[in-house]
Amino acid sequence: MQTPATSIQQKPAWRRTLDTNGVFLLWTAFLLIFPFLVGAISGTSPTGRRGESVFQQGVMIEYLTYAMLAMSYNLIFGFTGVISFGHALFFGAGGYILGGAARALGGETGVIVGVVLAIVASTGLGLLIGIVSLRLKGVYYAMFTLAVAEMFYIFFRRNPETGSEDGFGLGSSLPELLGQRIVLFYLTVILFILMFLFIRRLMFSPTGAVLLGIRENENRAKTVGYNTLRYKLFAITLAGVLATITGMLYALLNRKVGPEMFFVNFTVNPLLHTIVGGIGTFIGPILGAVGLSWLERTIRSTVLTVGESQINIGQWWAIILGVIFVAVVLIFPYGVVGTWNRAAPHIRKWISRFLPGRNAESG
Amino acid sequence: MEGIFAPERRSTLIAVLIIFVGLLGFSFLTTGADMAQLSITLLSGLLQGMLLFLVASGLSIIFGLMDVLNFAQGAFFMIGAYIGWEIQHAPNLMKAIPDPNLRFLVGIAGAVIVGAVLGAGLERGLLRPLYARPIFQLVATFGVSLIALEVVKLIWGTAPRSWTEDFTLSSGEFSLFGQFFSTYRLVVIVVGVLLIVGIAVLLKRTRIGITIRAGVEDSSMVEALGINVRLVFTGVFVLGCAVASFGGVIAAPFLGASNAMGAEFLLGAIAAVVLGGLGSYEGTAIASLMVGIAKAVVAKFSVQYLNQPVWESLTPMILMAAILLLRPSGLFGKE
Amino acid sequence: MTTNPELILEVAEIHTFIGQFHILEGVSVSVPQGSITVLLGRNGAGKTTTLKSIMGLTPPRSGTITFGGRRIEGKRPFDVAKMGIGYVPEHRAIFKELSVKENLQIAERARGDLNQRADFIFELFPDLKRLYGLGGGKLSGGQQQMLAIARALVPDNRLLLIDEPSEGLAPVIIESLIQAIRRLAQNTTVLLVEQNFRMASQLADRYIIIDDGKSVKTGEMSTLIKDEATIQKYLGAA
Repeated sequence: MQTPATSIQQKPAWRRTLDTNGVFLLWTAFLLIFPFLVGAISGTSPTGRRGESVFQQGVMIEYLTYAMLAMSYNLIFGFTGVISFGHALFFGAGGYILGGAARALGGETGVIVGVVLAIVASTGLGLLIGIVSLRLKGVYYAMFTLAVAEMFYIFFRRNPETGSEDGFGLGSSLPELLGQRIVLFYLTVILFILMFLFIRRLMFSPTGAVLLGIRENENRAKTVGYNTLRYKLFAITLAGVLATITGMLYALLNRKVGPEMFFVNFTVNPLLHTIVGGIGTFIGPILGAVGLSWLERTIRSTVLTVGESQINIGQWWAIILGVIFVAVVLIFPYGVVGTWNRAAPHIRKWISRFLPGRNAESG
Repeated sequence: MEGIFAPERRSTLIAVLIIFVGLLGFSFLTTGADMAQLSITLLSGLLQGMLLFLVASGLSIIFGLMDVLNFAQGAFFMIGAYIGWEIQHAPNLMKAIPDPNLRFLVGIAGAVIVGAVLGAGLERGLLRPLYARPIFQLVATFGVSLIALEVVKLIWGTAPRSWTEDFTLSSGEFSLFGQFFSTYRLVVIVVGVLLIVGIAVLLKRTRIGITIRAGVEDSSMVEALGINVRLVFTGVFVLGCAVASFGGVIAAPFLGASNAMGAEFLLGAIAAVVLGGLGSYEGTAIASLMVGIAKAVVAKFSVQYLNQPVWESLTPMILMAAILLLRPSGLFGKE
Repeated sequence: MTTNPELILEVAEIHTFIGQFHILEGVSVSVPQGSITVLLGRNGAGKTTTLKSIMGLTPPRSGTITFGGRRIEGKRPFDVAKMGIGYVPEHRAIFKELSVKENLQIAERARGDLNQRADFIFELFPDLKRLYGLGGGKLSGGQQQMLAIARALVPDNRLLLIDEPSEGLAPVIIESLIQAIRRLAQNTTVLLVEQNFRMASQLADRYIIIDDGKSVKTGEMSTLIKDEATIQKYLGAA
């Protein structure tokens, strides 16, 4: 299609796409071949219900759901500057609504109705909470979301009709197709990529610019003539819907729902992932989520043997996380990606000083 | 407090009165006009209200003065309860201090000191560097509350600790309309009242109180008058944490110590603070009692008629949602 | 740099940033002991920020501030205040939730300051004696301004920074404020910010014009009054 005679300045379209999105495409490709890659290395089948590949797909689905949750959280916390302590509310709502519909109707109908219902309900919930609390100072939103999420947590933990503390399993009510790990894996990968592209697209749109303006200085955005309340409402509702979608994936992966989906952990984790990775960046939340989840998985399964006694460091995970948290908040408030973005020009300059034959021009 | 009976407050006072009368009437009906049941319900409501106040007062004053909402306030309550429990029940201490009454006093002192020290550390170490980034202060207090919970789990585990080492006061009972009520709970109510009055006097009559009230309005102006406001900040923060911790230890003889109590009291206190109006001391005091009594009344009703104890825990949140819809600045709040 | 013993306050080339905005781009102010000096300039020129920089409320990034022979830039506001500087901010920032009495009490730096100075304060502002127990928020605009000035008189201050005392007040009240400031200036040095040129010209001995974040002109007030061109250029039709 492209003639090889294209000049150097005018690279073909596919080259330009590759140049700007190379890393993204590489990761997409990695995710797409992941089941087969693991399968090939471990000599297990990527399909079916057991085996190393299937297990690793499950791990990857978990990482990706955490990353998606962090991405949705970053949309309000990182890009709009609104702090929520009740993100778990949407996550849990997704799980329970999908689960409830699946249990009541069963099969494909149940899942489809559940997905639609969950998205409608979380939109309503986001709007309602926002309208009540967003007019006031930021702390009201933080308090109110925490209270509502905790309320749902308490309610579902004590409600015998939804299985109280145990929740309920979805195994028998889900369609056969979703029982296959690899189907769920590709579903997650597709949703993950779509969410990433969607958020990026949004933030480069005029709406995204207003959201960033609200984060920087809400009064100024107001003075310029934007109805900031409406934009904030949009952002928190959208983030809520994205978290709901993530909650549904999580429920499908575990094939059960339980009150822990409303627990404060599913607020703290995305919050922490976002801060550690870099608030207000696109890949920061993903990096934070995958990195910390991987670290947690590793540490929890590590047992140190010192002399005769065995120390189960898993127990200490929360403390380790606390230390990371405090350190990041105090020392690296921009997180890994943010700090790197700020430091990179200086580092590049510094390195170029030692490279012969090159001027100190920074790229 | 002089303004509490001012004409512009009249509608607020009427609202408060109506709510209290409504709660009273509702509990009158649910208990079937049984005086014994009614008085027990109200006493346990008052008791819960006092405990909520001990968490909420710090939350409210700290917010008013420093614009920091201390989400770790509930954690201090929980820590106070665990410290009090530990000192009362640790085998070594039982040997060292055989008198359970004395041990309880030591427990109170221990909890208050630990609360104060941790509060000072939190303010100096984490909040002070973050005054330029208020959103991170919220994140920091929230994070600390969860770290505290994990540390408590690590030390004391997840199973609730119940109070088995009675002391003179905690085993006493008195009868009211033929029903027994623990003397100790009554003492806690009285202590709560004394604290409400004591803090009010501190705020109203002393120089420190004037400084705090002025700081709530405009802390940089206070500083420009030659007062080291940050020192006042630290002092108030430490006091708030110590009071919450004190609340935990005096509640421990009947509530025991559990992982969940921090979050529960934090949420109740948040509801009270929003209901009363963020930053308003008298509003917080009245609203704490309101939330406490509402909880007790709802508990009585839901156990008796709905067989669903969950509604009691949901009451504070429902009250909070209602007040935010009807009157976003709370009963006594401004703006 | 040399310190002139007759200058109680010397601000030299300060640069102040608020957020990323460069508000003061080189302001120098000298205030002779015992004088009333006025900062003039258009809205947003940087007059208020100059006062706040002296107080340490918006610390300057560079430049020096010398008060009574001691360097004070970089000190915290409460330290600056304790050295003997009273600050009367714009918009009469009194504490509205506190009574008149409490508004004065809080300014005490040593026990008994208020008792000692009460007679002088009530002589200047007789209204305040009558309103002593009333809440600050219940006072009229003029009374609030008087209270704000009185508050700065409670401790033994050597310099008062007064920001736009006439703002939004009726001419009669401005007149009585002029009398009061003139009276208190007999014991205290005053650095004033004032938009009302008539008031400034009646009170001040010396002026400093600040324009666009820089101090551009300074001199005797009596010469400025005759200098139509300068007034036109920097203050508009004042």
